[in-house]
Amino acid sequence: MARRYDTRTTIFSPEGRLYQVEYAMEAISHAGTSLGILATDGILLAAERRNTNKLLDEVFFSEKIYKLNDDMVCSVAGITSDANVLTNELRLIAQRYLLQYGESIPCEQLVSWLCDVKQAYTQYGGKRPFGVSILYMGWDKHYGYQLYQSDPSGNYGGWKATCIGNNSAAAVSSLKQEYKENETTLAEAQALAIKVLSKTLDMTKLTPEKVEMATLTRKNDKTVIRILTSTEVEKLIANFEKSEAEAEAAKKQAPKS
Amino acid sequence: MSILAYNGGAVVAMKGQDCVAIATDKRYGIQAQTVSTNFPKVFQMGPSLFVGLPGLATDTQTVFQRLKFRMNLYELKENRMMKPKTFSAMLSNLLYERRFGPYFIEPVIAGLDPYTNEPYVCNMDLIGCPNEPEDFVVSGTCSEQLYGMCEALWEPNLKPDELFETISQALVNAADRDAISGWGAVVYIVEKDKITEKHVKTRMD
Repeated sequence: MARRYDTRTTIFSPEGRLYQVEYAMEAISHAGTSLGILATDGILLAAERRNTNKLLDEVFFSEKIYKLNDDMVCSVAGITSDANVLTNELRLIAQRYLLQYGESIPCEQLVSWLCDVKQAYTQYGGKRPFGVSILYMGWDKHYGYQLYQSDPSGNYGGWKATCIGNNSAAAVSSLKQEYKENETTLAEAQALAIKVLSKTLDMTKLTPEKVEMATLTRKNDKTVIRILTSTEVEKLIANFEKSEAEAEAAKKQAPKS
Repeated sequence: MSILAYNGGAVVAMKGQDCVAIATDKRYGIQAQTVSTNFPKVFQMGPSLFVGLPGLATDTQTVFQRLKFRMNLYELKENRMMKPKTFSAMLSNLLYERRFGPYFIEPVIAGLDPYTNEPYVCNMDLIGCPNEPEDFVVSGTCSEQLYGMCEALWEPNLKPDELFETISQALVNAADRDAISGWGAVVYIVEKDKITEKHVKTRMD
């Protein structure tokens, strides 16, 4: 039944669905996980790196995390080539705003603008939608730290913690339980991110090569964006494994008493 | 009256030993009337890259903004700092794009290569013809006077404090022989790990 209505992106199905958009989201659900958490003193994005083939030449420093301007960073999940096009466009949008208004673009404006572009691909032109979901983290003087998510339909929302990509539903429910609004510091958020990632990753063991993490904070009236080094990621993973081991040991001891 | 002499102004840059210096006057005027004494024409584009944009003041501001636009995108995409030579090429291209309706500025570039720390100076005309000499570059309404001062005072391998004296004397004395340049001066000395900004006391006329 769907066959007749999904060869063109710009047609509704009889049940009122846009199949191409849904197929795009399906593509993303098979891609590497990306999650974001808003903390009281900053924001972080963490992502699962899929291309860990030893033969891959290490050219760029980050596979899934892109800096957009001085105050915003994004992380992608989905088709990498589509993601490159969109992040390039995001950077251009941000610079054009800076040129026109002489100040940094507010976070929601940037997200909103790109989402209008994404929406156009679901309504005009006969082109397929972009197979990318994006998580944005940023700071602006209007609303402080913000975390946004956008998807191929051009829909976006502001979040306190969210996840996209493989096993994102499990990750989101895990975050829902563990995340404490207005009480989570950046350090706690980092630990939480590692915990959630370890559950969503296909492999059972987390290694620094498989994880990318970036944090955004404010210091001295300037935004500080940091991509964590593999040593720092390794330390976070080590701490996580230690607390897991302690929890296991505690469980084993408890029934005795 | 020439459009390049409508607002007035002067910029000079010099090479030293493992350092560069760039200096600008601070006058903003509308023909004979001085409107502001706090309009420097030199802008910092990177940790050790400066550009001076003397000429029509509106173009000074616009070209600076458009340069920042292109440079930001370059640094985001290529994930590295722009070399002064590359910056020169980019500015030259920006100006030539407006070959038949140009920006009325004659820029001066000074910086240290971010990887080798080699000193670099460059100037160009309003449609982007670059000139990369080994000693100094000048631009502005008193460029002739600046050429004279620099030729007399400059010598190779000046240390940072000597370079400061040389460039300050060159700018101040040249600007004093020009009615529409002067009213204060700023000098930047760019060394490997240090940038010194000095506001020089000048004749305020």
